[in-house]
Amino acid sequence: MTLTGMILKMSEGLGRTCAIFFLTLLFSLPLGLVVALLRMSKNRVVQAVTKVYISILRGTPLMLQLIAVAYGPFYLFGYTLLVKQKLLAIIIAFALNYAAYFAEIYRGGIESMPVGQYEAAHVLGYSKGQTFMRIILPQVVKRILPSVTNEVITLVKDTSMAFTLAYMEMFSIGKQIANSQSSFMPFVIAGGFYYLMNSVVAFAMSRCEKALGYYR
Amino acid sequence: MNILEIKHCRKSFDGVQVLSDISLTVSEGQVVSIIGPSGSGKSTLLRCATLLETMDGGSLAYLGKFAVRDEGGKSVYASHAELKQARACFGLVFQNFNLFPHYTVLKNITAAPLLIQKREKAEVLQTARDLLSKMGLADREDAYPYQLSGGQQQRVSIARALAMRPKILFFDEPTSALDPELTGEILKVIRALAAEHMTMVIVTHEMAFARDVSDHVIFMDGGVIVEQGNPKDIINNPSHERTIQFLSRFN
Amino acid sequence: MKKLLSIALVMLFVLAGCACAEGFTFKMGIDAEYPPYSYLDDNGEYAGFDVEMCQKVCDILGWNLEIVPINWDTKDIQLDAEEIDCIWSGLTVYANGITEDRFTISTPYSDNSQMILTKKGTGIESFDDLAGKTVGVQMGTSAEAALTGDGEAAALGATFGTLQPYENYNIAFTDLQAGAIDAIAVDAPVANDKINKYGDDYYCLDESFASEKYGICFRKADTELCAQVEGAYMQLVEDGTYLALGEKYELDTSFLVLAAK
Repeated sequence: MTLTGMILKMSEGLGRTCAIFFLTLLFSLPLGLVVALLRMSKNRVVQAVTKVYISILRGTPLMLQLIAVAYGPFYLFGYTLLVKQKLLAIIIAFALNYAAYFAEIYRGGIESMPVGQYEAAHVLGYSKGQTFMRIILPQVVKRILPSVTNEVITLVKDTSMAFTLAYMEMFSIGKQIANSQSSFMPFVIAGGFYYLMNSVVAFAMSRCEKALGYYR
Repeated sequence: MNILEIKHCRKSFDGVQVLSDISLTVSEGQVVSIIGPSGSGKSTLLRCATLLETMDGGSLAYLGKFAVRDEGGKSVYASHAELKQARACFGLVFQNFNLFPHYTVLKNITAAPLLIQKREKAEVLQTARDLLSKMGLADREDAYPYQLSGGQQQRVSIARALAMRPKILFFDEPTSALDPELTGEILKVIRALAAEHMTMVIVTHEMAFARDVSDHVIFMDGGVIVEQGNPKDIINNPSHERTIQFLSRFN
Repeated sequence: MKKLLSIALVMLFVLAGCACAEGFTFKMGIDAEYPPYSYLDDNGEYAGFDVEMCQKVCDILGWNLEIVPINWDTKDIQLDAEEIDCIWSGLTVYANGITEDRFTISTPYSDNSQMILTKKGTGIESFDDLAGKTVGVQMGTSAEAALTGDGEAAALGATFGTLQPYENYNIAFTDLQAGAIDAIAVDAPVANDKINKYGDDYYCLDESFASEKYGICFRKADTELCAQVEGAYMQLVEDGTYLALGEKYELDTSFLVLAAK
């Protein structure tokens, strides 16, 4: 197989890699915020449950979570949808996993907000929801952007974990070529692809940071 | 008419009594200064009055309407809607300004009148610009808070409070976070408001200012009102020993 | 936001795909990293002895063939969940949990041997020379199972200095090239494949330390399916396709034990 052949074959899986990446972000970013708010709930039970959720998802390998989401429902209830719709299983597992990480980032950001911001809004008559959406969240987003960038870059590389469910994204195809051709070249190519994608991510995030740099 | 009426206010933190049996009445156009050493409870009193802190006992009323009732020595808070009404009566200027850093000066002032009071946009903008020129900040409406000096930020925060058309304005040590050379500009603004008969309650450490600007001075210590009355009498000829002791540090 | 969400959902379904051809589709589960039985060829298509045999079986039976690359670690789950209809990919049967009380297993089509692959200069000529040496093996393969289990080969395994596990033979072979390990314990076909590619510096010891049988594994209930596939397979044995493909993929045809009647 020629180098071009390898690159072409691997780029066939690139769409799937990107699908995992974007769909995970799309679902895990809002979900993370919800988890963060539940984590900070005054209700002790809600708080405890969320704590357990976060500790399990951060404390076990993503690989196991992928297998659990895809095959757990099948073994427990004979439910095969997640076995047949691999991408769905992957997105659920990734979104749940990343939401746990994002939740802690959000929480850190929210808790770092000075209490004076809440009080100023309160005195002006803002409701709790208005205060959060208009005053707190915009400032939190700016504060947590660097940590979010870190997670997003990790996510690009984590997409390769989808091989656990034999989902033929770019890296899984690369592995097949590598073993079929007794060549390490596909790994080099995969590295190139990931580096390229992460350069785009880094660029986009630095644009975001600049866009939010109008205040301090 | 009494704008603010606090009766028998009690408050303790973790079993430590911070306010005991404080009563305070402010009528329209009156300027009241509260002085006293740190930890005397004057800031807590202000925070109870502005509903940032809940009181344990006593009542609180704005324009004769109760926000907090006293039932058998215990404070009972009114409904959500009634508290909202009460909150519309007053404004608060914080020691640390607490401007919204992601809003421009203009938006800091206009956001709440537009969002909360749902007032006409043109009218709100006009009001905000009038207030800014009154504060000497007409050319800074597009600036962000970080681009302003402390004194300028505090003037914006006064404008933000005034834009809500409060019946009474509270100041919580408005000059304490400022360099001494910047306190003057804030005191000047407050003096101008007093001249317009704005009803105000000011917690301050500026004794000369309190004496000159207010109609009534309250000296607090240890969670109680030790002495109150005419500012010149209290500050120039205090009768109570603790007041004398406290004031002697300023002269 | 709603728009984004609906686009996302559409993407999900499109990408998840749904192959809805007419007729029965036989889903063949393969380890796509296992040449010469099942792998990606130079054109990026799945190829190999097993893949081609399966295609011909499907042709005879008039089935559509869908090749599903699987994760070897979860192959039994994927079979149970009906993601695939069989595991057919140089699969060692009657070992490693692939047993008849749990699955339906076809008559083995290959009886294979486990070899020691090494390179010139190591001075390794017999099993005895392996004492104290570092020997690489792919995790989860029958070579590893034999050397670490409790059969005869385990006694050999015990003489090694180190039995170094690898995620795949590609890396193990690179380590052998580099001299990081002295030998690799591996299936004969895989060893021959490497020798063919990399030439005379590499050789296998004459002795084999275990033999293994390759078969096709079906769900326990699918005895009928198994019989159909076996029937078609035997036709291919009869008409010579079996041996011809064995030669095409450079298998040791002595392992291809099914005989024409």
